[in-house]
Amino acid sequence: MTTIRLRPRVRRSKVLYSIIGVVVALIWVFPVYWMLNSSLLSNVVLQDATPTFLPIGGSFANFSAVFAGGTFFPALGMSVVIALIVVVLCLLFAFLAALAISRFRFRGRKAFVLAVLLIQMLPAEGLFIAQYKLLSSVGLLNSVIGISVLYTASVVPFTIWMLRGFVAGIPIELEEAAMVDGLSRTQAFLRITFPLLAPGLIASGVYAFLQVWNEFTIALVVLPDNASATLPLWLQGFIQQSASRATDWGQVMAASTLVAVPVIIFFLFVQGRMTSGLVSGAVKG
Amino acid sequence: MKNKLWGATAFAVAGVLALAACSTGGGSAASTGIAPSTNGKGKTITLWLVGSDTPDALRTYLTTEFNKETKGTLKIEQQDWSDIVTKLTTSLPDKNNTPDVTEMGNTQSPTFTNVGAFLDISSQYKALGGPKLLQSFVAAGEVNGKNYTLPYYFGSRYVFYRKDVWAKAGITSVPTTLTEFNKDVATVAAANPDNIANFSGFYLGGQDWRDGISWIFANGGDIAKEKGGKWVASLDDPNTLKGLAQLQDIYKNADNAPGDAQDSNQYIYINNDDSIAGKTSADAATPVSLSAATIMAPGWAHWSIGDKGTDAKGAVTRTWNDATFGNFALPGNDGKAAPVFAGGSNIGISAKSKNPGLAETLLKIIFSPTYQQMLGKNGLGPANSDYTSALGSDQFASALIASSSNSKLTPAAPGWASVEASGVMEEFFSKIKDSTDLTALAKEYDAKITPMLNTK
Amino acid sequence: MTADLAPKRSGRRRITGTPYALIIPAVAVLVLAMGYPLVWQLITSTQQFGLAQQFGQAAPFVGLQNYITLATDPYMWTVVARSVLFCAACAAITMVIGTLLALLMNVVARWVRLLLQITLLLAWAMPVVAAMTVWTWLFNLRSGVINWMLTAIGLPFHGHNWLIEPLSFFGVAVIIVVWMSVPFVAFSIYAGLTQVSEEVMEAASIDGASARQRFFSITVPMIRPVIAIVLLLQVIWDLRVFTQIKLLQTAGSVKSETNLLGTYIYQLGTGSSDFGLASAVSVFVLALTIVISAFYVRSMLKEES
Repeated sequence: MTTIRLRPRVRRSKVLYSIIGVVVALIWVFPVYWMLNSSLLSNVVLQDATPTFLPIGGSFANFSAVFAGGTFFPALGMSVVIALIVVVLCLLFAFLAALAISRFRFRGRKAFVLAVLLIQMLPAEGLFIAQYKLLSSVGLLNSVIGISVLYTASVVPFTIWMLRGFVAGIPIELEEAAMVDGLSRTQAFLRITFPLLAPGLIASGVYAFLQVWNEFTIALVVLPDNASATLPLWLQGFIQQSASRATDWGQVMAASTLVAVPVIIFFLFVQGRMTSGLVSGAVKG
Repeated sequence: MKNKLWGATAFAVAGVLALAACSTGGGSAASTGIAPSTNGKGKTITLWLVGSDTPDALRTYLTTEFNKETKGTLKIEQQDWSDIVTKLTTSLPDKNNTPDVTEMGNTQSPTFTNVGAFLDISSQYKALGGPKLLQSFVAAGEVNGKNYTLPYYFGSRYVFYRKDVWAKAGITSVPTTLTEFNKDVATVAAANPDNIANFSGFYLGGQDWRDGISWIFANGGDIAKEKGGKWVASLDDPNTLKGLAQLQDIYKNADNAPGDAQDSNQYIYINNDDSIAGKTSADAATPVSLSAATIMAPGWAHWSIGDKGTDAKGAVTRTWNDATFGNFALPGNDGKAAPVFAGGSNIGISAKSKNPGLAETLLKIIFSPTYQQMLGKNGLGPANSDYTSALGSDQFASALIASSSNSKLTPAAPGWASVEASGVMEEFFSKIKDSTDLTALAKEYDAKITPMLNTK
Repeated sequence: MTADLAPKRSGRRRITGTPYALIIPAVAVLVLAMGYPLVWQLITSTQQFGLAQQFGQAAPFVGLQNYITLATDPYMWTVVARSVLFCAACAAITMVIGTLLALLMNVVARWVRLLLQITLLLAWAMPVVAAMTVWTWLFNLRSGVINWMLTAIGLPFHGHNWLIEPLSFFGVAVIIVVWMSVPFVAFSIYAGLTQVSEEVMEAASIDGASARQRFFSITVPMIRPVIAIVLLLQVIWDLRVFTQIKLLQTAGSVKSETNLLGTYIYQLGTGSSDFGLASAVSVFVLALTIVISAFYVRSMLKEES
C-alpha cells in the first residue's frame, strides 16, 4: 500500500495516523505492562494510595516466592506436553479434513462442514459432567491422553475451518505441473503444496496452542489431582491461596506473568510467519 | 436446511450408543458396620483436605501415623473452597476416582449426605467420640438417625476492634449487649476521630451474610425452618425482621463497606498501614490508613492483625498490640454471647471407597486425642469437646470458646448447597441497606429460597 | 473458486473413498470426545436429573418439562435478553475497533505498525485467567489504577465500585472481552487488506476515484468475506462467554443480576445440581446460536455447492 511518491498532505496525515497508532498501542498494552510492573513491586508499594508506574526499586522477590511453592514447573510441564500433543494432532487431523472438504465432492460433505460449525456453538458449561463420566469410564481422568482428546475435539473444528481456506487457495495446477515434470504425487505434495501451506499451519497451530494453554474449566473437572494440574489451574489455585490470606497482588501478578511469558515468547517467535499466514488464509475465508 | 441439520447431528450421534452404555451404574446403598482395618500393605487411600487451614505439621502427622498403623500410604490432596462442590459432585459417585475420605464445609454436608454420598459410620460413632463431638455438626451429617459425616474442626467468628479509635470516639468499655454494640459502632462511625474517607465504625460487607446472620440469630430469628418434613424460608418471621432492621441501621449509619463486599479479608481494614487514599486528591498525602474501627472475622484472622514489621526475609509480619487492638465475642441481648455462624468442616468416608476399612482407621487417627489436641493448638476448634482446652487460654481462645458456645449452623436442608451456590443470600443481604420495606423484601426472598431448600 | 474446480477433474472422481478416509480422524476424535456428552446432554434435558441421580438413582423421564419450566421462567428470558445484548455489544464494538485498527495499520509508518502488531499480540497472548486477574485489579475499588487516574483528573471516582451496578459490571466486562478479541479481528482484517492489489488501487486512482470511492468499491468487497467469517465467530464466542463473567462475578457483584447464559448454565448445573435444567438451557443456547447465525450459515452453504 505504500505509495512511492508521498505528497505533503499524505505525509502529514500519515504522521497523524502514526501518532494515533502509538496511542492505541500504549492503551492496548497497558494491562500487560501493569502486570509486569506490579510483579516486580512489593505488596506494600502496591497497596500505596498513589500507584507506582515504573518498577524502580523493584525486585524479583515475588518471582522467587512463587517458585518457592515448587508446583510451577510440574504444571508448566503438563501444559507444554498437552499443548504439543493437541497442536500436532489438531493440525494433522484438520489438514486431512480440510483437504477432503476443499478438494473433493462427496456425500455428507455439507453435513460435515455444518457439524464442524455447530460444534463450536455448543456451550461447554453443560458438558462437564458427561465429559468427566466419559473419561472416568475409560480410566483416563488425570491423564494427558484424556484431556488431549477433549481439547483436540474442541479445537479441531476451528482449525479445519481455518485450514480449508489455505488448502483451497493453493492451485492444484501447481501440483499437477510438478507431476508432469516427473515428481510422484507425494513428492509433488511435499515439495510444492506443503511449503505453501506452512504459514497456514503456523497460524492455525498458534490458535490451537493458545486455546489449549488458556483452557481452564474442562481441566478443572477432568484433572482433579493436584499433581496433574495445568498452568491455568495452578494459577487459579495460587490466586485462591493468596486470597485466603490478604491477596498479595505482587505475587499474583508474578504468577500471572509466569503463565503468560511462555505464550508471549512463542508468539513473538512465530509472529512474522503467523501474520503472513493469516494474510494468505484470510481472504479465502 | 432441515435434513442438513439432521445430517450434522448424525455425525455427532454416530457410534455413541456404546459409550452411553458406560454411564454410571446404579449406586448401592451405603452398607453398615464395616470395621476399621489395619491391613493396608501396598494400598493407598486418598484424603481430600479443603483450603490451607490444616497446617502442614498435621498433614505429616496423619500420613506417618496412617503408615505406622496400617503399613499403607495416605495420599493427601488439597482442594479449593471455590470449586469443592464441583469436585465432590463429579468424584464422589465415581468408584475409581473418589477420595476415600473427604473434608467438606459443614453447610455442604447435608446436601451430599442426603443423596447417599457417604458411608454409614454409625457403628463407629461411639468409638470416635459419640456425644462428646460437636452436636450441631454431627446433625449436619445425620440422616434418619444414622451418622454419615462427623465434625472435623470448627471456628467461630468474633469481633476485633481498634481500642484507640473507640477511645478517641469516647467509648472505653466493651459493649455487653447487642443493642449497646449497635449503638457504639454508630457512635464511632459518626465521630470518625481520624477523619478517614469511607470510614466504617463497623465494617460489614454488603453481601457478608455469614457475619450479618448473627443479628438474625440473636433476635431469635432464623433463615429457614423445617415444617412437616418440608423446609420453609423464614426471613419474614417477626424475629428475623427485628434482626434485619438492626442490620439495616448498621449498614446505613455505621458501615461504609462496599455493597458487594463478602466475607473475606476484613482484617486488612483495621490495620494501620493498608493505606487508603484521602477523601479528595488534595489530601491524598495525609497518611490516613485504617478504614474500619471494628470488624467481625473468624478467629484465625488474629494472625493477620497487628503492628507491621518485617521478618529476616523482608516479608510483612503482624504483631498483635494490646494497646491498639482488642477482641470480644459479639454480645447477645440475653447476657450470653450472640449466636454466631459456626464455621468449620465435616469429614466423611465416600460410599464408593474401595478401602472403607482403612478409611475408618484414618478417622480413628483423626479423632484420636493426639490429633484433636494438635487441631486445638493450631487454633482450630477440635471436634471433640474434651480437647477444647488445647486451644489454650489466651484472649483469642476465650473469645473463640465464648462465641462458639452459642454458635449456630445454616439450615440442614437438602438443598442448602443450592442456596449457597446461587448467591441468593449474598443478594438478599446486599438489598437490605436500601430497602424501604424489609417485610416485602424478606417475603420476596423467602419465595426464592424455599424451593431451593427442598431440591435434592 | 478453486474448491469448485477440483471435483470437475476426472482424476479425482475415481478415488471416492479418499475424502472419507481423510475426514475419519477428525470425525473420530469429535465423536469420541463430543458424541457421548452431547447425547447425554440431550437425554438429560428430558429428565429430572439432580444430585441424587448423579449418585446413582434412576432419573425419571419428564419429557419437555424442563423446557417448559425454562420457557415460563421470566428470569430465563432476562438472562437470554441480557446475553444477546451483551453479545451484540461486544461483537459490534470488537468489529468496529478491529476494522479501524486494521485500516490504521495499513496507513501508519512501518515501525508504528510493528509496535501495534506486537502490542496486539501481547494482549492476544495473555492467558484468560491472568488477564482477568490484572483487569479485576485495575478496576479494584481501593487500589485500582483506574479509580486513581479518574480521581487524579478530578472526577469523583475515589473508592468507586465498578462491579456492583449491573450496568457498570457489564461495561467492565465488555471492555475486557473487547480488549481480548480485537487482536484476532484486527489481524484477520489487516491480512485481508494487504491482499488488495496495489495496481488496482493505483489504476482506480488514476481513473479519478476518490479515496472514499476506492475504499467502498474496492477495499470493502475485497475484505467482506473476512469480515463475515470473523463476525460469525465473534457472535458465536461472545454468546457463550463464560470464564470472564465467572471470574468477574467472583470479584464482586450480585450473581443473579449479572448472569449470562454461560454462567447460568454453570450455576444451575454445577452449583445447584439441577443437571436436567442446565442441559435444557445448553440445548436452548445451541438452538439460539443456530437461529442467530442461520442466515449466514445458509448463504455459506450455498456458496459451498
